[in-house]
Amino acid sequence: MKVKRIFLSFLLVLVTSWTMAQSLYRTSVGELSFFSKTPVLDIEAVNQKTGAILNATTRDLAIQAKITDFQFPNKLMQEHFNENYMESERFPTTKFAGKIKEDVDFSKPGTYPVTAEGNLTIHGVTKPVTVKGSLVATANSLQVKFSFQVRTADYQIEVPTLVFNKIAEVIAVSGTLNLVKQ
Amino acid sequence: MIHFLYSQRWLPASVLFLLLFLGTSPWQGVVAQDDLLSMLEEEQSKEPTYTIATFKASRLINGQTIETISKNHLNFWISHRFGAVNSGFIANFFGLDEAKIRLGLEYGLTDRWLVGAGRSSLEKTYDLYTKYKVLRQSNTVPITVTAMAGWGINTMPTGYVMESGFTMKFNDNIERYSYWSQVLVARKFDEKLSLQVMPTLIHVNKVEDPSIPNQLFALGGGGRYKLSQRVTLSAEYYHTFRELKGDEDGGGGAFPYPYRDALSLGVDIETGGHVFQFHLTNARGMVEKQFIGQNVGSWGKGDIFYGFNIARTFSLDKAARNTHK
Repeated sequence: MKVKRIFLSFLLVLVTSWTMAQSLYRTSVGELSFFSKTPVLDIEAVNQKTGAILNATTRDLAIQAKITDFQFPNKLMQEHFNENYMESERFPTTKFAGKIKEDVDFSKPGTYPVTAEGNLTIHGVTKPVTVKGSLVATANSLQVKFSFQVRTADYQIEVPTLVFNKIAEVIAVSGTLNLVKQ
Repeated sequence: MIHFLYSQRWLPASVLFLLLFLGTSPWQGVVAQDDLLSMLEEEQSKEPTYTIATFKASRLINGQTIETISKNHLNFWISHRFGAVNSGFIANFFGLDEAKIRLGLEYGLTDRWLVGAGRSSLEKTYDLYTKYKVLRQSNTVPITVTAMAGWGINTMPTGYVMESGFTMKFNDNIERYSYWSQVLVARKFDEKLSLQVMPTLIHVNKVEDPSIPNQLFALGGGGRYKLSQRVTLSAEYYHTFRELKGDEDGGGGAFPYPYRDALSLGVDIETGGHVFQFHLTNARGMVEKQFIGQNVGSWGKGDIFYGFNIARTFSLDKAARNTHK
């Protein structure tokens, strides 16, 4: 009797963890890019190694990207971005932890407008944000697209007066995550 | 089985209740999100994070750093060494009346391999060199190692008098060649401090006097300390290990041994695409063979040269065209 009970609870734990694992959608090659536009200079950088996990059951969403993985066409700019602005040695990642507000059934193929609410951390500063995006659900994958704006001053990213006209105060961030069912 | 489930009703019911409770509590959401983040963290930490910007430029002061330049990027170097500060006000305006100049170009073949060329007005020397980053410092590797090899040709007319006072005669062009190689080893200790050692071997085909060795081994040491995001202090010293042929019998050569170790102190200022390096040095040459091997200046006597290097980086990457400043 006792053995049976232990076995059953073990089975239960196994089944629960299995169903929970089943509801995870994941990528390690998500794309996150930003764009800074001023009359003097346009700067664009792309990170193609952005990691993201979405729990379809709880609709929890986590996104994380390494600062050093942002690729600039001009590598000197990339060095300055890491060294002077983002201080990537002290703050190696940028991350978002939040939840999708809409009660979407991800197992049903279709396109859904979604809103994610959560905490965005850039340059070691965490702020609550609300990001609007779209979600395309297919049989085994979810494509999440979003875009939002970041004010550099909000995250204590110092832009010296010398290059003030080259770097926009508000940076446009966008992302495409092709999440695959685990 | 069914009977067991019914008789042990408390087990699934309580678990179900617990799950339900966890699922609806707001506390659970935060924990779950942090769990997801730590899953990402674990995955991303497996990939190495390479240390960037151990030094601001591919040159520390006179000599090289472990830094190479990125693929398809071009560096233009303008270097000046003015006359000695002790050369007098009337005669030389404390050295500002004259300058030795080196113009140089560096090109990144890959992110780790560069080729460079330059021309110095000191001894009208052309130089070619290549550097390759063999090992990169990362979260698992403690140091960066770069190998460097260079070649130079002295194009002065034969029979000219050197700064050291010797008369140099060339019988053929091969005699004008010199070669040097370095192993540069550096570590970025933190955001501010980077240190480098540079064992160096120099060979000159023709020496100015029998008392001067053709082969020279030197050990350099240097580093930088960042005062702010854009201002950096730097220092560089090359100690030479010579077999003083002339000194065996008490400085038997025609002259006392004329060359000294080079010590340089500098400040780097970075502004966007430029790096300005201002420095004080007892070496006037800007090619390894000159500033390590044939340096006549002495700090003690006040043979201090002020100088500057300006580096400008251009991106020749096609993708960079549209966004390039």
